[in-house]
Amino acid sequence: MKKIGNLLLGVVTSIGGFVEVGSISTSAQAGADFGFALLWALAVAGALLAMLVEMSGRLASVSKHTVAGAVRARFGFHFHLVPLIAELLTDTLLLTAEIGGVAIALKLVSGVGFQWWLLPVAAAGWLIIWLGSFAVIEDGLGLLGLVTLSFVIAAWRLHPPAAALARGFLPTVPDHDLARYGFLAVSMVGATVSPYLLNFYASGAVEEKWTEPDLWINRTTAFVGMGFGTIVSMGVLVTSAVVLGSRHIQVDSYEQAALMFVPVFGRWAVLLFALALGIGCLGAAVEIALNAGYLLAQAFGWSWGAEKKRREAARFSSAFTLVLVLALAIALTGFDPLRLTLISVALTVVIMPFVVLPFLVLMNDEDLVKHHTSGPAGNAVLAALTILGAILALVVIPLEIVGG
Amino acid sequence: MDLVCDLLDSLVIDRNGREMGRVDGIVLELRDGMPPLVSALEIGPSVLGSRLHPALGRWIAGLEQAFGVANGRPVRIPFRHVLSIGPDIKVDLAIGQTAVGNIEDRLRAWIEKIPGAG
Repeated sequence: MKKIGNLLLGVVTSIGGFVEVGSISTSAQAGADFGFALLWALAVAGALLAMLVEMSGRLASVSKHTVAGAVRARFGFHFHLVPLIAELLTDTLLLTAEIGGVAIALKLVSGVGFQWWLLPVAAAGWLIIWLGSFAVIEDGLGLLGLVTLSFVIAAWRLHPPAAALARGFLPTVPDHDLARYGFLAVSMVGATVSPYLLNFYASGAVEEKWTEPDLWINRTTAFVGMGFGTIVSMGVLVTSAVVLGSRHIQVDSYEQAALMFVPVFGRWAVLLFALALGIGCLGAAVEIALNAGYLLAQAFGWSWGAEKKRREAARFSSAFTLVLVLALAIALTGFDPLRLTLISVALTVVIMPFVVLPFLVLMNDEDLVKHHTSGPAGNAVLAALTILGAILALVVIPLEIVGG
Repeated sequence: MDLVCDLLDSLVIDRNGREMGRVDGIVLELRDGMPPLVSALEIGPSVLGSRLHPALGRWIAGLEQAFGVANGRPVRIPFRHVLSIGPDIKVDLAIGQTAVGNIEDRLRAWIEKIPGAG
């Protein structure tokens, strides 16, 4: 019975914690620019994420190792430096973007410029990690994050035409702005399949002491949680397509994105959008900062864990604090939060092969995962998709930078 | 046993189940007319740095010296203390018996002053 409760909590918090600055901004832009035409990219991204999350949970449950630690042990430090530096770089950029997302949400409700909120937001994020246990951080913010379901409610109440929705799940070539279409498709995949999620999830499984008998919990959390989570992202896209796309309103800022709630929620629209954006981004910021601590601690063999007292994992605690300070420093230099978000999620897709390909080798190593190895079909699909995504990203990112 | 595959970069666990670090280097003893013998495992960022470039290793060692944590580092764990190998390496030593915790201890002294650090 306790396991069923844990499973439900895991699924619900996965849904509540699913959308954040990257998924909200990319899906809002995709809906405004291309209607329902990019729904397929979210479906692909959701499936990819569910498969990878399930694998990282399986690795952690069976071997008690996380992705970062296992990659160094298996491939050596020289190889491991590449994904380690790439992940730390994208984690820091994404963390900056999430801090910006919470600050924008506070600006929407207070009217005070977002720059003034950056320092208090980073401090609040740090306090949550410093004082909270893993369960408080993960479950508390995940449950609060259920406010993001307002995107699904909005999409539902706007009665989008079913036939047009269904057509959106078939990849098509658009009749305008092909480069932009490709960039948004790549960014949506990058925003959904963030590498930080994989190591964070695996670290959580180790912290919560999952074992082989818990593999069914892992499988269900991964596929059901991430599946329904993807529906929240789709809610953003559909709401944006119906409300903003039909009026030819482009999403150049988060203020414009907030307009998508007006027809459904009326005078509560801005507050509700700000809550969804703010809580979604705060949850992600906390997870990303913690993950930076996990990555470094596991790479170098330090004591780690959000369940441990901070003094018992001093280097781990110092690491997540430092990364938060670094992200805040980047944020304070002045940046366009929306643009930074788009660039960091697109970069994520470029580094994906460096994270996913060694991970696939680990998942076929019986010394680590015993007989729970991955099948050849899953391996082939994941390898092909990540390499294809990276090539596409390398083509469309320069086009977006030049064109944008 | 494959030294690079099975030993190098593996996690080292002390006798109380705590993380000591990763195997950053392996010390071999060369013997006349006999195969080399693994005499110790090394743990320490200066050893790891020197694997990338000797100058980086020296620079890290200098930093450790400057911060006053260099005493007893890099840590050499004589191979006779190794209890088991694979996937982690368990050793018959406690962290406190070695200098692996120098940086952790230094940081802990600062962190303890922050409320909520436990």
